[in-house]
Amino acid sequence: MTQALEGFLQALSAGLLIGAVYGLMCVGLGLIFGVMRVINFAQGDFMMLGMYAAFYFFTAFGVQAAFGNNFGPFVAILLAGPVLAVFGYFVHLTLISRVSGMRTSSLEGEGHYAQLILTLGIALILQNGGLLVFGSVLASIRTPLSSSAWELGPMFYDVSVFINKARGIDAVVSLVTMLLLTLMITRSRIGKSLRAAADNPTAATYMGIDVDRAHRIAFALGTGITAIAGGLLATNYPFHPFVGVEYVIVMYAGVVLGGMGSLIGAFWGGMTIGLVQQMSTLILPTQLQNAAIFVVFLLIIFFRPQGFFGRMVERT
Amino acid sequence: MLRIEGLTAGYSAIPVLNGVSIKVDEGQFVAIVGPNGAGKTTLFKTISGIVQPTAGTITFKDHDLLAIRPSQRAHLGIAHVPEGRQVFPSLTVMENLEMGAMTEAGQRDWKHNIERIFEWLPILAERRGQFAGTLSGGQQQMLAIGRGLAGSPKLLMLDEPSMGLAPTIADFIFERLIEIRRQSNLTILLVEQRVAEALESADHGYVLEAGRVALEGNNETLRADDRIRKAYLGM
Repeated sequence: MTQALEGFLQALSAGLLIGAVYGLMCVGLGLIFGVMRVINFAQGDFMMLGMYAAFYFFTAFGVQAAFGNNFGPFVAILLAGPVLAVFGYFVHLTLISRVSGMRTSSLEGEGHYAQLILTLGIALILQNGGLLVFGSVLASIRTPLSSSAWELGPMFYDVSVFINKARGIDAVVSLVTMLLLTLMITRSRIGKSLRAAADNPTAATYMGIDVDRAHRIAFALGTGITAIAGGLLATNYPFHPFVGVEYVIVMYAGVVLGGMGSLIGAFWGGMTIGLVQQMSTLILPTQLQNAAIFVVFLLIIFFRPQGFFGRMVERT
Repeated sequence: MLRIEGLTAGYSAIPVLNGVSIKVDEGQFVAIVGPNGAGKTTLFKTISGIVQPTAGTITFKDHDLLAIRPSQRAHLGIAHVPEGRQVFPSLTVMENLEMGAMTEAGQRDWKHNIERIFEWLPILAERRGQFAGTLSGGQQQMLAIGRGLAGSPKLLMLDEPSMGLAPTIADFIFERLIEIRRQSNLTILLVEQRVAEALESADHGYVLEAGRVALEGNNETLRADDRIRKAYLGM
């Protein structure tokens, strides 16, 4: 009894912690999709770049020496976010803006075909470019915190739960980032103008909002957010140049689960996936984790096709 | 204030406007009337920069408007209240009004403007926290007008504010427009299919038919014109 309960609580807490990071990862993609309606296949590879950026900040740019092994990785991760945001800004400026935004709003399909091909192309270039530059050896951002834990308990029935310290901090960083982003989107002038541009780009232009600039800001923010999530994941999971492919599927599943276009929905979508993934290990072999995610995904979409927070309304 | 000369514009090389010339003086209320498909909305979209003209010029207060990016035109003082209202459905009423005030003048006069807008359109004050997508059609139209006024515009362009509204609500909107104009002395350019009301409110009118200006004159000459009386006023 105690053992089963302990196993359950252990899986639940692991799911919540990893789910918070998955949630943040999905929010990055959800922001880009919600504001621009661009399906970005390269988001997983932006995340891969975020992992390597954090890795090199930590090992090669003195963050390790300055902040030590325990907290250095988190400083490096928070530095990787803005760097990838700048990267996203220029990717939008030079490439994405040519096939999206006001330029293509009057075209058939609003440029979606070109967007699919372009982002898929960017993904391939980043993966293979990453292989050239970073090599195929597995990398990881190790901290002693990844292999130590806080013990909660013993509580009722003598049950204790162990919280991996690195994962605990990962989850806190995710939640704080999510909170700051939400405040920015709901409260600030720039956040409101992003939402207006998402609602109705033409009317936003009438208000004097530069819609292409709004898209660029959303793309940069979304890239930076996903990069931070990537860095956080890298404290527990080793990575390689093709790691983006594994995560981009989870990202899309999370965004669709939450309801396309809803940021808070994307977060809960990611959280659900983290929970299902960890809880499924209680009854299924670990190889079936991803299968379990998609079985639950299909079930939820079957009963609620618009996702948790999606609205069944026609866009005007 | 606004001078349009020889404007030809359309979609994929099919001209909708064919050499249209229109003039709006400071403080004037000008109405453009005409049947469906005459090019009234295209004219507005060209002024706002959503449609690119193939010929002609648009001058607004000595600026060559066609050389100015679409998103910058609002900052010159042009407010476009579009056809079908087009409020931002997932933003609240208040946030919609804030979006209308993105211009420098709108920022500066925010307090004053919002007070006046709430006075003219009290329903907006009542619904300020509600999502715009949940408002009724008439309320959305009032919000679209309020949003246009929030930027302290010099020229207010209204595209069919009565569209899809019950007659009593449309009448109320016209009555509000006349009141707003009386108090603010705003320059207004109105596109409307309800010809009688439009010509009654405006000082000057143009009749647009098949992409050309078919008739032009002050409101008395237009209302007395036989063709207008027959075709539009049903007399």
